[in-house]
Amino acid sequence: MKNPLDSLTRRRVVLIALSAVAVLAIGITVAVMRSDDTPDAAGVGVALAEPLQMPSAILTDTDGNEFDLRADTVGKATLLYFGYTHCPDACPIHMAVLADVMETLQPEVRDQIQVIFVTTDPVRDTPEILREYLANFDPSFIGLSGSDETLYDLQVAAGVPVAVAEPMDDNGGYLIGHATQVIAFDPTGVATEVYPFGVRQGDWAGALPDLVNRR
Amino acid sequence: MQWWCSQLYKEWSWVPQPYLGVWLIVGALVASRAVALRRWKARLGTPGVTTRQRWWFWLGVIAFWISSDWPVGTLGAGYLLLVHMAQYLLYTFLAAPLLLLSMPEWQMRRLVQRLHLHSTLRLLCRPLPAVLTANIILLSTHAPWTVDTLRVTQLGSFLLDALWLIGGFLLWLPVISPMEEFRVKNGPLRCIYLFGAAGLTPMIPGGFFTFSRYPLFDTYEIAPRVGLSALADQQIAGAMMKVGSVPVIWIVITVVWARWAGAEERASREALKAARAAG
Repeated sequence: MKNPLDSLTRRRVVLIALSAVAVLAIGITVAVMRSDDTPDAAGVGVALAEPLQMPSAILTDTDGNEFDLRADTVGKATLLYFGYTHCPDACPIHMAVLADVMETLQPEVRDQIQVIFVTTDPVRDTPEILREYLANFDPSFIGLSGSDETLYDLQVAAGVPVAVAEPMDDNGGYLIGHATQVIAFDPTGVATEVYPFGVRQGDWAGALPDLVNRR
Repeated sequence: MQWWCSQLYKEWSWVPQPYLGVWLIVGALVASRAVALRRWKARLGTPGVTTRQRWWFWLGVIAFWISSDWPVGTLGAGYLLLVHMAQYLLYTFLAAPLLLLSMPEWQMRRLVQRLHLHSTLRLLCRPLPAVLTANIILLSTHAPWTVDTLRVTQLGSFLLDALWLIGGFLLWLPVISPMEEFRVKNGPLRCIYLFGAAGLTPMIPGGFFTFSRYPLFDTYEIAPRVGLSALADQQIAGAMMKVGSVPVIWIVITVVWARWAGAEERASREALKAARAAG
């Protein structure tokens, strides 16, 4: 009588089992590493070639008041981001990640950080729209706008590619190509790192207390 | 046009998206079943399946379709971990057992024979290998590395969904296989098997998901939000993983136990009757 478990079957099963165990081992290892609650303070940010001083610009906040970017950010760590409210991908993801991580920070750290969202689409991003958009993430996020010329100069001074509008679609809508990195300024107004799209909450949670304490 | 759902990094939209691969598989399932039944009827003159098996088949196909196509497939592939978890539960605890129940023995035998899987399945359907296989598939397909690696491409995402469905078949074969030799013979052992294969291990990753301080999955954290924060989404997914399979598992365990107890009682009554007749 033929053995129901011939050698080919045994080999096949052993191979399947070994592959499965290997996948499992890798998966568990990564899961355990990722689930470590200690945030990683080691840089996920990209170091700038030279330290960047907070650019000097007078913008307008969502209440219609003047906002002096350099003077009004001294003393707090500032996360500066250029984006627009109709952005379908990078902006809402960045803002959601930052809003979520703010909730996990100790209040003494959280109070020392301000997130500034400078619109690259001043035509559609009226103060009301900008306020409503940011309030969906975190009401404390600051929305700023300005003239085309001011915004252009500011992006150049911040060392990011200047935003460019793409051609209008059939519905009159348009996308804007813009920088997706967050520039992290310490409380003295100096940035040495930018954080690209895709930085995760755990990484932010490790980096932000360090940024706040940098003097 | 995409052929399978994968991560998109695009703002979520309620405008339906077609997925060619899903429709092809659903079409292939229905067509192959129709052809097999027609051939059987032409040869033997009988329908080849019971009315109940017809129902199981259509319910199984619908369960597969819902879990793979828009919106569940799209949301699960790149937006919400809780929908990804719902997909896993649908594939493993609904589509797979329904499709197995829908299969008449002759069809399953023919399929197993054509794929040369008889010896392999016999080994994999023994309680211990089956428990190990089910749990390995469960743990490995819910590890962040696996999900983050596979969900970014259509092929990878398809592979993950296919693994869940295959894992579902392997999980249920020892309990409801149309071929008797794959079923665990003893009723209580079948209950213990099901509890060991699907009732215990989900607590481990489910616990990680529920109690982690930060999101574990890049796929669902760096994604446009659909109503929930990444952490709240993960916590709900963790809870789903822990308790989502409980109703199915415990209903089946209860049914298996009740049937076994009934059969035992009948057997002992028969034995008593036979003993009285002899004495």
